Amino acid sequence: MNNELTFNKNILIAVDESENARRAVLYVAQLLEGATGFSVTILHVINEPEEDYFPTTDEKEKWLSQYKKKVDKMLEDYRQILIQKGFDRSVVSVRSTIRYCPSMAQCILEERDETEYSTVVVGRQGLSRSEEFLFGSVSSKIVNYARNCTVWVVE
Amino acid sequence: MAKFISQEIIHQMVARWSSPRPENYRFKIFKDTSDFFRVEYGSVVVLDEKPFLILHNAKEGRFGLDDEEKFWVKRSVDLTDGSRKIIKLVFYEKFMANIAGIDFECFRSPKKEARILKLVGNHKNFMHGYAVEDENGNIVRVLDVVNGKPLHIHLQNLECDHQAYFYKLFPDILSKYIECIKAIKFLHENGEKHGDIRRDHIFIDRDSGDFRWIDFDYNYRQRENIYSYDLFGLGNILIFLTGMGDVMMTDLKKQNHPALSLLTDDDVNIVFHNRVANLKKNYPYIPETLNSALMHFSSGANRFYDNTGQLLEDLEEFIQTQ
Repeated sequence: MNNELTFNKNILIAVDESENARRAVLYVAQLLEGATGFSVTILHVINEPEEDYFPTTDEKEKWLSQYKKKVDKMLEDYRQILIQKGFDRSVVSVRSTIRYCPSMAQCILEERDETEYSTVVVGRQGLSRSEEFLFGSVSSKIVNYARNCTVWVVE
Repeated sequence: MAKFISQEIIHQMVARWSSPRPENYRFKIFKDTSDFFRVEYGSVVVLDEKPFLILHNAKEGRFGLDDEEKFWVKRSVDLTDGSRKIIKLVFYEKFMANIAGIDFECFRSPKKEARILKLVGNHKNFMHGYAVEDENGNIVRVLDVVNGKPLHIHLQNLECDHQAYFYKLFPDILSKYIECIKAIKFLHENGEKHGDIRRDHIFIDRDSGDFRWIDFDYNYRQRENIYSYDLFGLGNILIFLTGMGDVMMTDLKKQNHPALSLLTDDDVNIVFHNRVANLKKNYPYIPETLNSALMHFSSGANRFYDNTGQLLEDLEEFIQTQ
């Protein structure tokens, strides 16, 4: 029986606006420098605020529309980093999705599960222990809960 | 169509349940409570055709600070039956909170509190009440008054040393606090956070002796673990109850306390570094099973609790060994 696992060359980089997310993109760009066969998706999960966060539906719609514009710009910036390092435009895609995420790590991993990525890349947030205690760490949880894929945590 | 309530009827109702007003007194009647500053002493708020006589604004004090007036929270009398009610009018606010240098976004939500009131119904470990929309769609909460003292005041007023407290009073206090943790577990299982777990948000019901959570309108924007901030609050209260108050590093230093030579950086509260979490070093008779639960909230914690169930398991293990 052949138990050898097969890994594809699809890479999912989960990002936000933080410097550590940018480092994750730069890492992939510099490491692979557009090596052929790789396909990269840059993902941002928009954590939809709870219903309670907005006094009215209009305010919610306005917030989402403004935030989406900001995210689109951010994702395009990251995409350009990869293209400038030699990736072909056709293999670098961006994706943003709006979801209510009690756990951002779970949301990212669910996105991964719905598609076929053998590698997930995230930036390390560099949280203090107090911060990790109070709010949890996305990268730690991804490392703990990811299955059927490899996780790169970029420092 | 909404029923008209005349000044004469209100005068009669007020006279029945409160001090009568002079005949020529005209009650200001509010069916739209949007401008809560205008809803003052002696005015009447009508919600779903039920009139409430407004007495005064509620106040909340904390940590030795003067009581802060909450202009959107009114003490009142339900004029249909004379019962005392707290009326919370709609006040949206968003702000950045800071705990030990860590910023996070908080907001107040009447919708959340209304939802939780409905969820908890008559649960013995929560305040009770209901929500009703005023004429302008504001979600007003009508709350039963919990007769009793806040938990921290009860503890502050105890006159015994820690050892006597720990053996005689603490078992009952802990068992009631465990009920409170279970109540928060119930919220979490239903997808709700308490949002503002603090020692002054537990009242001891004078009639039943139960500990009851109050104030559910706060919320925070979670990051990775939706309930970790609630858990942090639960841990702080557990340490406070076990220690019969906060054991502060500054106080120990002032007293040149012998425990100082034993305490290390790992022994303090993971967020509030001035508070001792490893209480066994101060009070050696605290059993290890209990102290190890406290240590999950210390700087030296190897593992954090992910949920209330884990904390409850550890506390129940302690109870079983007693």
